[in-house]
Amino acid sequence: MKTYLGRTQRIPYTAGLVLALLIIGFVGNGPFAEAAVTYEIDTSHSMIIFRAKHKGISYNYGRFNEFGGNLMIDETDVSKSTVQFEVKAASIDTANNKRDQHLRSPDFFSAKQFPVITFQSTQVDMKEGKEDVLEVTGDLELLGVKKSITVDVAITGKGTGERGESMIGFETVFTIKRSDFGMTYGVGAVSDDVRLIVTIEAKQK
Amino acid sequence: MLMKQLVLGLLLPTVVGSAILIFARSFAPKKYATAGNEKEQDGFAGWLIAAALGVGYIIGYLGLEGLPVFPPRLGTQWLCYLAIIGLIVASFWHLAVWGPIAQIAISIIIPRLLLTSTFKYTWGPIEGIIWWVGLAVVIFMFWHIVEGSFSALPAGAPGPFVYCGLSGGTALILALSGSLRLAQHAGILVALFVASWIITLVLQRDRKWFVFPGSTSPILTLLLIGIWMNGYFFAEVPTVSVILLLISLFFVHVKRIKGVQELGTRRSTLVQIAAIALPVVIAIGIAIARSGLFGGDSGY
Repeated sequence: MKTYLGRTQRIPYTAGLVLALLIIGFVGNGPFAEAAVTYEIDTSHSMIIFRAKHKGISYNYGRFNEFGGNLMIDETDVSKSTVQFEVKAASIDTANNKRDQHLRSPDFFSAKQFPVITFQSTQVDMKEGKEDVLEVTGDLELLGVKKSITVDVAITGKGTGERGESMIGFETVFTIKRSDFGMTYGVGAVSDDVRLIVTIEAKQK
Repeated sequence: MLMKQLVLGLLLPTVVGSAILIFARSFAPKKYATAGNEKEQDGFAGWLIAAALGVGYIIGYLGLEGLPVFPPRLGTQWLCYLAIIGLIVASFWHLAVWGPIAQIAISIIIPRLLLTSTFKYTWGPIEGIIWWVGLAVVIFMFWHIVEGSFSALPAGAPGPFVYCGLSGGTALILALSGSLRLAQHAGILVALFVASWIITLVLQRDRKWFVFPGSTSPILTLLLIGIWMNGYFFAEVPTVSVILLLISLFFVHVKRIKGVQELGTRRSTLVQIAAIALPVVIAIGIAIARSGLFGGDSGY
């Protein structure tokens, strides 16, 4: 009996402990899980477009067809957010096979030697004085050269997918100097400044 | 821009290379003319001929690429260092033991250095080792073919002429295979060999004919191999074209055939040059066919 009583006496204590853990668990998981969401880039609704000036006369546009990456967005503390991006250099597409072959060659992207262009964020902040604009700093690695860049990333929309998963959209426009990464061939015929337009739709993982 | 590249990338190396070559001739022994006595040229005069090619190439490299990056990342950035390694090896090439040791060591090291990213991104461990061993053997064998060509080619203008054709074919194939920058690097060699050829033709009456000494073999081997490896692994040079370029110099030994020897010196040399040219021409033809040069998608 004593044992039984002992057990019965312990029931409220155990239940209380379980209840407390459940409450903590609920409090802990609920809002935080919502705040820090990991997204995967939906490549069919995302694009990486670039433009470069040809002989100082006209802008020529191109795109990369194969890329991917993950975003972790922490809405309660944006500074904890991360962005990771990979672009397959050989997937460059300027709607001209001959030019694409040249762009893949050692003259430009050396896609066989450096098959992947990567970006890894090192710092994410809200842009001061602007709502829905993030200031993302990170390492862009191209041709084996890693350089830190800072870009403004606009949050273009948020929503819910067909399966109830969170969705988010971003766009950023920035310019890099290709010579900074050792891509020096034909500077003049093709501008050193290359503007990139990256538009992303990402789905919760 | 084009003018700057022509002056710095072609004209300047040609002038410097030519000046060193002419200077080297003043140190050359008078019995320099016969083929097969290239060992006698090794020494300061021999090293100067190697230096003419090596320094000439380095100047062309600086004109095209600017100061060399260290450590090199891109395959083309290795080319300048290959010329420097070639020059260093050339300086002790005449020492019986160190030459072959350097030959083996460099044949093993070069693939690993040039293809770091391919080892990292493309090949697995086993595949990487197989390629590494295979390439080391190919470099070692090609080095011997280059050395063999010096003694097999007649003294005088044929030597630079053959190497001019080989470098010219390489430049054309690279341009057709999507890398104009690599083609420009081969173009530096073309300019240097054209200069050597002209100097030899002009000055051959003094009986100090131009024969590549053995000490030029490290520079010639490393630069040609370096450019071909860049073209094959990082540009789109067809496999068959690379193989044909690699074996073309081997046909220098066609002169050993009795029937060819009986043709006389002049005709047998022509046969020799034609035998070397044939695989180079086929290699160019394959590159043209692959490039779609005469198809609809020819320009941009």
